[in-house]
Amino acid sequence: MNAFLKRVGGSIAVLAVVLALNFFIFRIMPGDPLTGIMDPRFSPEAKQQLAEQWGLDKPMAEQFVVYIKEMLSFRFGLSMMTGQPVWDELRSRAANTAALLFPALLLSAALGIWLGVKAALNRGSKTERLVLTSGAVSFSFPSFFVQLLLLLCFAYLWPLFPLRGTSSVPPPAGGVKAFFDYLWHLTLPLFSLVFLSFGGWALYVRNMMVKALGEDYVLMARARGLSHRRVVWNHAFRSILPPVLTLLLLALPGVVSGAVITETVFSLHGAGRFLLEAINSHDYPSAGAAFFLLALLTVGCNLLADLLYVLVDPRVRREGAH
Amino acid sequence: MKLRLGVICLALLVFLAVWGPGLPEKDGIKAPPYSKPWWLSRDIASTVVLYASVTSPELVEELPEWLPALTSSETVALEWEYEPPARVSLTGRLDHGFVGWTTPRGRFVLAGKPGELDLDARDIPFKRALGVRPFDDLTSILFPSRGSYVLSLVGGGEITMKIEGGRWGWLGTDHRGRDAAVLFIRGIRVSLIVGIAATLIATFLGLSMGLLSGYAGGLTDTLIMRAVDVLLSIPTLPVLMIAAGMWGKGLWNLVFVLSAFSWMGTARTVRSMTLSLRDAPWVENLRAIGARRNYILFRHLIPEAMPLLLANVALGVPGAILAEAGLAFLGLSDPRVPSWGRMLHEAYAFGAFTSGAWWVILPPGLGISMICLTFMSLGRKLEERADPRLTQKN
Repeated sequence: MNAFLKRVGGSIAVLAVVLALNFFIFRIMPGDPLTGIMDPRFSPEAKQQLAEQWGLDKPMAEQFVVYIKEMLSFRFGLSMMTGQPVWDELRSRAANTAALLFPALLLSAALGIWLGVKAALNRGSKTERLVLTSGAVSFSFPSFFVQLLLLLCFAYLWPLFPLRGTSSVPPPAGGVKAFFDYLWHLTLPLFSLVFLSFGGWALYVRNMMVKALGEDYVLMARARGLSHRRVVWNHAFRSILPPVLTLLLLALPGVVSGAVITETVFSLHGAGRFLLEAINSHDYPSAGAAFFLLALLTVGCNLLADLLYVLVDPRVRREGAH
Repeated sequence: MKLRLGVICLALLVFLAVWGPGLPEKDGIKAPPYSKPWWLSRDIASTVVLYASVTSPELVEELPEWLPALTSSETVALEWEYEPPARVSLTGRLDHGFVGWTTPRGRFVLAGKPGELDLDARDIPFKRALGVRPFDDLTSILFPSRGSYVLSLVGGGEITMKIEGGRWGWLGTDHRGRDAAVLFIRGIRVSLIVGIAATLIATFLGLSMGLLSGYAGGLTDTLIMRAVDVLLSIPTLPVLMIAAGMWGKGLWNLVFVLSAFSWMGTARTVRSMTLSLRDAPWVENLRAIGARRNYILFRHLIPEAMPLLLANVALGVPGAILAEAGLAFLGLSDPRVPSWGRMLHEAYAFGAFTSGAWWVILPPGLGISMICLTFMSLGRKLEERADPRLTQKN
């Protein structure tokens, strides 16, 4: 339980930093937040009134407390773009982002782990070369470039997939049809994310597996006459599972960053593109809320991975026992 | 990739980055939007610029007007083997004399009055001056067939005739008609500056934090390592986006925010190294003979960590370059500074895809990848130098 509490404490710390960052990044920008949205011909009284309305006349500390309360209760205020509550705008988009992120993360991790283990078992084989190449690709090719090429090939030149959007316009009637339409729209973004990130996983898992397979306990397991599959998965792979989970943890912020770009390239109805639109139209409440939500998504996943870590690593469990 | 090849690639990139801004006519519009590269589709007319200039001698004003034969002239010949061009324009200055245009079918006097010239084949006054009806296509009259053409400037002045076809330069043009090859070369600079500067600052930060954390221990250590954990789980791109949107899209803003979010890996490495070295017997010996903390840090620990740090720099550069490119691709970079990410942003935003203009898409994308691969392989080699165990195969 101790270990678990420690992890939760870490997540809360991350959230606190995100909130503080979010608060100050919008406060220490050059100029007055009001001049941006206000006609210069407004009278000073009108300006004063606006400042009161947004609570900008209060001392910084008080503003901060109000801000924290509002963020934690998801009251993000009104969007300057649409005049609607930001939370209403964000809710459906955040769901789309999550629907893109989680499958992408899981699929790329699964594919990467499988290929990495295979490459470690057959060194010098085609699989290993594939793993090495895709690893280099995933670390050095800009994601949007690869996605643009995929879009060009599979949506423009050979229109297998839609060019843009999360659903057809107008959306097809009927739940099942709408669901398949949604899947059809998400396939290419999802595929591109998996394609771009499985290489990193595979490379990492391969390196760890090569080391693990050379250990004495694997030799011992072989000597005991255990089946090949059992030696590989239950002994060698089992021992590298904790670091693999750590990698999952470390990969998350990158995946969220990647989602912003992916949503922009494929014009998806998601929180990342919303963030970009909000920034481009100087809609501070929306931008702040979108960033907070993306960070929240990361922190939530982090916590989940941490919990898995406790399950997977017996040392952490034991530490928690006493 | 061999280390030497990596170094050569890097030297080439640095050379291009330094040379790039000196390229003539920085943002000039050269040819129609999305012109093809000159070596592609040879049957399409290329964009040609004819230039003629005659400096009028001082004496000319004193010469009697009936003496045109004595005035100097310059002619420029052109072989035209295509359909009529899309656009023809004539700019410059005519001091006296006239501008002639000889086609296989006849001769035209394009301009006869002294003064500044700014003529376009689509202008109605120009058509009327040449005796062409306003709704006729003047370009096809000026270019009636294949054959040889001559532009002649008789008298004094300086004229430029621009015949716009569908081809231009080594890499064609972008959506505004700027030379894509020039943009490509000028774009290297931003990638290199951001990549190297951000990584250097981040490495310096990481080194100091790591040393502090490892050597001081205790509360400092805990605080710094907590900070590392927290920063590692904040997605960088959204922060960069907001910073670019709120604080301006300048290059150095980007460098500082980027380095503030990428020192953590180095700090961890340096910390663990310091921890293992702090209690090593030779460091203990140093302490026993009275070496001060700063002496041990700066004369022994930092030099010890240097090769690894160098490798760290090289391995960190691709991340910074990719982050900059991603931000620029989202349109959050300075529009006045050409960069590869910006090129891709403009290609995406202004329909290079639907125009099939791959020459503004492939070069910047592959360029970014090449820079990153170069730094990756350099980093790997440096890492192997620093830690020879890595070269051993299991």
